Amino acid sequence: MRSEVPYAELHCLTHFTFLRGASHPHELVGQAVELGYEALAITDECSVAGVVRAHVAAKGQQLKLIIGAELHLTCGLKLVALATDRRGYGRLCRLITRGRRAAAKGGYSLTRADLEENGLEHCLILWLPQDPSSEEARLEEARWLDERFSDKLWIAVELLRGGTDREHLQALQRIGRERQLPLVASGDVHMHVRARRRLQDAVTAIRHNVPIWEAGSKLYPNGERYLRERARLAKLYPRELLEETVAIARRCTFSLEELRYEYPHELVPPGETPTSHLRKLTEAGARWRWPQGVPDGERAAIEHELALIADLRYEPYFLTVHDIVAFARSKKILCQGRGSAANSRVCYCLGVTSVDPLRGASLLFERFISRERNEPPDIDIDFEHERREEVIQYVYEKYGRERAAIAATVIMYRPRSALRDLGKVFGLDPEECARLTKVIQWWDGGEVMRERLREAGFDPDGPMLARLLPLAHELVAFPGFPRHLSQHVGGFVISEGALEELVPIENATMKGRTVVQWDKDDLNDLGLLKVDLLALGMLTALRKSFDLVNAFRGTQHALGGLPAEAPEVYEMISRADTIGVFQIESRAQMAMLPRLQPRCYYDLVIEIAIVRPGPIQGDMVHPYLKRRQSGEPMSYPSTEVGAVLKRTLGVPIFQEQVMQLAIAAAGFTPGEADALRRAMGAWKRSGGIEHFREKLIGGMKSRGYADEFAERLYQQMLGFGEYGFPESHSASFALLAYDSAWLKCHEPAAFTAALLNSQPMGFYAPAQLVRDARTHGAEVRPVDVCMSVWDCTLERREDGHPALRLGLRLVKSLSQSGADRLIEARLHQPFASVQDLAARAALDRGDLEALAAAGAFAALSGNRHLAFWEVAGTERPLPLEAALVDTHEAALEPTPLLRTPTEGERIVADYASVGLTLGRHPLALLRASLQSKRLLSARDLDGVAHGTPVRTAGIVLMRQRPGTASGVTFLTLEDETGQVNIIVWERIGDEYRRALVESRLLEVHGELQRQEGVTHVVAHRLFDRSPLLGQLITRSRDFH
Amino acid sequence: MRHRRALELPLEDSAAAPAPRQAPASRSGDLLHPIVGRADAATIAPAELWLAVHLASPSPPAQQNLERLGARAQRLTPRVSLDPPDSLLLEIKGSLHLFGGVAGLSREMAGECSRLQMPCMLAVAPTPLAALALARAGRKLGVSPSRTADSAAVLTITDLAQLVGKLSPLPLAALRWPQDTLNRLARIGVRTIGEALRLPRAGFARRFGTVQLQTLDRLIGRVSDLKDRFEVRPRFRRRRELIYELESHAALLAVLTPLLAQLGEFLQARQCGVLTLECRLRHRGIPPTRCVLRLAAPLADAVQLATLLGERLNALVLPQPVRACELRSGPLVSRILASGELWQPGEHGGGAAAQAPELIERLRARLGPEAVYGLRVIEDHRPEAAWQVREPVMTLPAAARGSQNDPWPFGHRPPWLLPVPRQLNERDGLPRRRGALRLLGEAERIETGWWDGHEIARDYYTAVDARGARLWVFRERELPHRWFLHGVFG
Repeated sequence: MRSEVPYAELHCLTHFTFLRGASHPHELVGQAVELGYEALAITDECSVAGVVRAHVAAKGQQLKLIIGAELHLTCGLKLVALATDRRGYGRLCRLITRGRRAAAKGGYSLTRADLEENGLEHCLILWLPQDPSSEEARLEEARWLDERFSDKLWIAVELLRGGTDREHLQALQRIGRERQLPLVASGDVHMHVRARRRLQDAVTAIRHNVPIWEAGSKLYPNGERYLRERARLAKLYPRELLEETVAIARRCTFSLEELRYEYPHELVPPGETPTSHLRKLTEAGARWRWPQGVPDGERAAIEHELALIADLRYEPYFLTVHDIVAFARSKKILCQGRGSAANSRVCYCLGVTSVDPLRGASLLFERFISRERNEPPDIDIDFEHERREEVIQYVYEKYGRERAAIAATVIMYRPRSALRDLGKVFGLDPEECARLTKVIQWWDGGEVMRERLREAGFDPDGPMLARLLPLAHELVAFPGFPRHLSQHVGGFVISEGALEELVPIENATMKGRTVVQWDKDDLNDLGLLKVDLLALGMLTALRKSFDLVNAFRGTQHALGGLPAEAPEVYEMISRADTIGVFQIESRAQMAMLPRLQPRCYYDLVIEIAIVRPGPIQGDMVHPYLKRRQSGEPMSYPSTEVGAVLKRTLGVPIFQEQVMQLAIAAAGFTPGEADALRRAMGAWKRSGGIEHFREKLIGGMKSRGYADEFAERLYQQMLGFGEYGFPESHSASFALLAYDSAWLKCHEPAAFTAALLNSQPMGFYAPAQLVRDARTHGAEVRPVDVCMSVWDCTLERREDGHPALRLGLRLVKSLSQSGADRLIEARLHQPFASVQDLAARAALDRGDLEALAAAGAFAALSGNRHLAFWEVAGTERPLPLEAALVDTHEAALEPTPLLRTPTEGERIVADYASVGLTLGRHPLALLRASLQSKRLLSARDLDGVAHGTPVRTAGIVLMRQRPGTASGVTFLTLEDETGQVNIIVWERIGDEYRRALVESRLLEVHGELQRQEGVTHVVAHRLFDRSPLLGQLITRSRDFH
Repeated sequence: MRHRRALELPLEDSAAAPAPRQAPASRSGDLLHPIVGRADAATIAPAELWLAVHLASPSPPAQQNLERLGARAQRLTPRVSLDPPDSLLLEIKGSLHLFGGVAGLSREMAGECSRLQMPCMLAVAPTPLAALALARAGRKLGVSPSRTADSAAVLTITDLAQLVGKLSPLPLAALRWPQDTLNRLARIGVRTIGEALRLPRAGFARRFGTVQLQTLDRLIGRVSDLKDRFEVRPRFRRRRELIYELESHAALLAVLTPLLAQLGEFLQARQCGVLTLECRLRHRGIPPTRCVLRLAAPLADAVQLATLLGERLNALVLPQPVRACELRSGPLVSRILASGELWQPGEHGGGAAAQAPELIERLRARLGPEAVYGLRVIEDHRPEAAWQVREPVMTLPAAARGSQNDPWPFGHRPPWLLPVPRQLNERDGLPRRRGALRLLGEAERIETGWWDGHEIARDYYTAVDARGARLWVFRERELPHRWFLHGVFG
C-alpha cells in the first residue's frame, strides 16, 4: 500500500497579512498538525508580525515551523523567502525593514536592486510565477532569479482549480527544464479551513474599500486557498513536487528560540564591568538615600539584589533605565518608575523610584526577575506627559534608529470598527453604519437587540444582516482579528547589535517614529528587553504646582519632598474631597474613601488597588473593610500565610500576594508563581489555569492546609483573574496621590491652576475643577486681555493670599502665537481699546473673535455684544464696500445701543468658549421651574432619609457602563449645589434608553439609598429635559 | 362660503423702540443714522403690492413643480417671479379689483397650490422681500400652512408706514442670509429684523457687507427691488384638421410633414431639441390613437424626426380613419450642436461612431425600444453575473474609440450562455444530453456570490456531445451534485 504523501506547506499567510489572510496563526498551526503536515512556513507579506504567535502555538507540537515572508517587488516579481538559519532570518528581517522603511505606514516598497543588495543569504527562495499570458515575462523573471539565486531557487507550483491547472503545470515544467530549476508544490494558503472563504472575501473588499459586489475579480474565484488534506494534494500534484516540499523544509533549521538578546553595553565607562559599574552607582545612591548610613537589613537586601542581577546578567538593563532617568532628571523632567523591579532597593538607590523600602512593604522583587525563567525584568517609567517626547528623542539619539524602536500594538477589530468596515462592504452609507453601530453598542443579543435593530430601521431577519452579523462575530471573536499595527504607548526595545536583524522595523503613523513588527506579548514570549516610557499627566501637573507654589511662596517643594503623613491631608481624603487628586478622584474611589478612611501611606496603596474589578469580583472588599473596622486580631492557618497576608488583614488584595501565597502555601517556585500570574491574565479568554489548580490545592493539602481553605484561596485567585492590581505599581502611584492631595489641601489655587495648565488629563473637566477650587475658598478671576497670560497664574491678593487668574489657554480657538503677541504688546504699554489691542498685537479676526467670545475684552469694551461689534469693526473694509461707505466716516462711528446679554446668554457663552463659568450654575437659573416640578437639588437630597422616593434633575457629567457591572449604568448629575450619583439598572436603562443616552439635562425619579456614607439614587424613571437648557438663550445648540 | 382670515400683524410701535444714540450732524447725510429712521404716523399707500407664496413642505419642491405653479399663477397677474427653491412672488396691485381684493386673490392662489397638493404660506406686503420674509416666518408667528383654498391665512401689510414696525419682530433667519452672517449678528445680540434695522448704516455695512445692507434697503422699500419675470418654458403643440379622412400610413406622414417642418423651425430657433414627441391621431367617436417617440439623445432635425416617426407609424394599427392629427413635444432640452465629421465613414479614419446613434434610433423606432440593447461586462466570477443588459450607448466616450477591439474577457468560456442553466440527466454520476457527454480537461471551480442570495459552488467542465458540439456544463459542489448545461461554444 502506498503511504500517504508527506507534505510541508511553504506558502501560507496569516491574518497578520492584514485584510488578506483570514486565519489566526494558531488556527493554521493547529490545522497543519491535524492534517499531519511535516512543516508549516508562516510567510506573511513582507512581515513577521504573526510568527511569534505561531511559534508559541507550535511549541511541543509535531510540526516544524518555518519563518519566511512573501515579497512583491515593485516590478511585479513575487517570491517567498524562507530563512534556513539565524543568519538567513537576519537577512530577511533586514530586507523587510528596507521595504517597510521605504514606504508610508502599512505599505512597503522593494525593488530588484534591494534584493540584489541584500542577497538573502541563507534563505531559500520560491518563485511565484505571475501573468500566464506572457511567457516572455515569466522567462525573464526566471532568468533574473536564476542568475542570482540559482542553487536555492524553486519554482512554486500552486494548483488552485482555476480550470487551467494542467496547462499551468506544463508551462512551469517547461521553464524548469529550460533553466534547470526544481519545482515544488505550494498552496498560497490564506485560511486554515475553507469555511473562512466568506470572511476572506469580506476582508478583501475592506482592503480595496469597495462594496462586495463591486469587488469582482479582486476576490478569489473559489475557496481553494486553505490547508488542504494531503490526499487531495496527492490527486492534484505529481508526487515529486510534494516530496520536494519536505526536502526544503528539512533545510530550514531556524527557530525563534535561537534569538538571543544582547543588551546595550556602552553605558559602562572604560575600565569597569557592568557589574562593578552598577555596584558603584548603587552604593553612591545608597549614601544619598541614607546619609546616616545604610541600615543593615537594607544593606543585605541590596547585596542580595545585586547578586541576583549579576547572576542573570541584567546589569545593562538597570544601567539603561538609570541612564534614561538620569537624563530626565538633568532636564528637570519629573519621572517615577514602577513595577516590582522598579521598587527594588537598587532602583531606590538609583533614583528610579522614591518608594522607600522601609515605608513601603516587602515588595516582591523576584516577581519579574526569577532565576529559573530567563525573562527580563520589567520597569515602567512615567514622565510628565508634555515632555515625554524629549525623553523618547533622547533614546533615539543615544542608540540610533538601528538599535531602538517602539514595540507595536496590534489593533484588533472591535465591534464598532468591524461593523463600520463590514457596513461599507455591504454598501451601507456612513450614516447607516453609524446607526447600526449605535444599536450594537447595546449588544445583548436576543429579542432586545432585534427590536432595537428594527427601531433603527434595520430588518433583523433581512438577508443583509443575516450575512453581516456572523462575519462581524468572526472579526471580533477571541483572540481578535488584527486590522493593522500601531505603536505601543511607550514600550521601547533597545539592543546592542542591529535591531533590524532581530525583528523588522517599520514606519509608524507619527512622523519620526518607528515600530518593530512585534507587540509586547511577542517580545515577552521571546524574552526580549523592553523599557516602558509612559506619559503621565499628573506628573506634569505636580511639576507645575511645585513651580507655582515655589515662585509664590519661595518654598523648595519637590516630588516626594512634601511633609510626609500630614493628618489634615488624610482627613480631607477620608471625606472623599478628592477632585483632582491622582488615582483616587473617580466616583468609585470616592465612594470607597469614607469607608476605608485612609490614615497613612500604606492605606493609600491599598485604596488604589482595592477599587479594581479584581478585588471587587473576588469579593475581597467587604471582608477587608469589616476586619479593618472591627480591629479583631487575625488568625492565620500558618505563619507563612500570615506573613503574606498580614499587611492586608488576611485578605489578598494585590496581585503579588496571590503569587506569594502560591509560593508560601503551595510550594511553588517563584518561576512557577510567575507562570501562574501569566495564566491568570489569560484564563478568562483561553482557559489554561486548570492544571495549576491541582498543583495549588495538592500543594496546600500536602502542607497541611484544610481543604476548605485551599478551595477558597483557589476561588479567590480565579476571581482576581487578570484584574488584580500589582502592589508594586500601587506603591508608586500612592506617592503621587499623596503629593497631589497635599497640594490640594494646602495650595488649592496653585493646584487647580496647574491642573488647568496640564489639560487634557484626569477625570474632571475645567468646569468641575474650578467649581471645586471655589468651594474650597480659592478666588478665581476671569480671563482678561489686560491681565491674563497663556497659562493660568497666581495673583497676589491684598490679604497676601493667592488668587487664580484664568489663562488665555482656556480660550477656545485662540492661537498661541496670537496670545504671545498680545502679551508681548501689553508689556510695552497697556491697551487703551480693542482697536489699539488689535493693531499692536496684530491679531487676526479669528483670534479677536475668540477673545470676544471668551468675554476677555470686558475691561476694554464692556459686554460681549459690544466686544463683538468692535471686533467686527476692526477689519479693513473691502474696496467695493469702501465705495459705498466713506471710510473717513468710520472713525466717527457711534456705538450702537446693543442689548445687554442676559445671564443665561452669558453662562452659555462662558461654557462655549472657556469651558466653565464664574457666574451661576446654569441650573440655578432654572431652579424656580425645577422647584415647581418638585425636583430636589443635590443639597436637598442630603436631608432625605434612606429609602425615600425622590425626584431630581441635573446636568449629566458622566455616564459609565463598566463591563464588570452587568448592564448597570452609573451616572453623575451636577446642579448648582453639588453632584448626585445615579444608578440605572439594566431593565430601566433599556426602557428609557433614549433619555439615558442622549440627555444633557436629565430628570430622574427614583429611590434614595444611603449606605456607609455613600448616597445615590436608584433610578426608576428617566426624562430628557435638555430643552430647558435651550430656554436660557434663543438658540440652544451652543450649549455643551 | 367661509370667511377669509386676513391676519393683521400686531404693530410694534417703532416709536417705543430705544432710539439709537445720535451722532453729531454730519455732512454725509444718513450714513451715521440707523438703517431706518422713525416712521411717520400717516398711512402711506404703496406703489406695489406683492403676494409671496412660500411652499411649506418639508423638502423643497422640484423646480418643475414650481414652474407649473408659476404658470398657473400667471392667470392672476402677468408679473410672476420664481424665487427658487420654494417660493413664488406675484405683484398683485393691478389685479386686486379683478379677484375681490387681497382676500379673494389669495384664495385663488391658495386654490392653485392645493390643486397641486402643495401646502403653502401666503403673505402680502409692499415689497417682495417683506412679503417673502413674512411668509417664511409665518410658522413662527403661529400660522400653519394651508392645504385648501379656504383655510388659507394671509399675513398682510398693506400700509407702507407700518412696514418696518411689523417686520421688526421677525427673526433675521427669514431673510435667508448666510448662516455665518446670522451667527455674527447673533454675537452682537441682533436676532430680529428690527434689531438689525436699528444699527448704524455705515457700521453695519463695514461689518456685515453691503449686500446685506442692500437687502435691508430692498426689504423696507428704500430701494426698488427688480424681479425677473417668469416665463413658461415653451413646448411645441400644433394640430391639423383634415378635410378628408385618411387611412394610409404614407399619406399620414405626408400630412404630418408640414407640422414636423414647423417643429424643426421652432426647435432650431430656440437651439433646443426634444427627447419625446407625441403624435395624436384623432378618429370619430373613439379616443385618439397615440404614438410616442422616445429618443435617446435630443433631436431637432425635422428630416430625422420624420424618418423616426415614420418608422413608428408604420408599426401602428389604425382602428379607424384619421380625421385630425396633432404633434406635441415634450419639454425642450438645450442641445449641444455637434459639428459634422470631415471624413465620411471608412475614409481616412472617419468612424462609424457618428452614425451609430442614428442606426440605433432607427432600430429602436422600428423594433421598439425594448428590442435594442447594449451589453456590459461586469467583474464577477459568476458566469451569469458577468454581463448585463443595458441601454445602448449613443456616444462612445473618446477614450473608448481607440480601443474597440477589447478581447472577450473570458478566455475559455463560451460567449453564449443559457439564460438559466438547464439540468441534465445523468447516469453513473456523468451528465447526458442526447447520449453521454464526454468531459474534456479539468474542472474550473467557482465558489462565490454569497452576498446577494445567488451563491454558487460549481465545478465547470467542457463537454462534447455525441454530435461533436462543445458544451459548457457544471456539477454542483453540494449534494445531490446535479449536472447542468450552462453554455454552448460556437
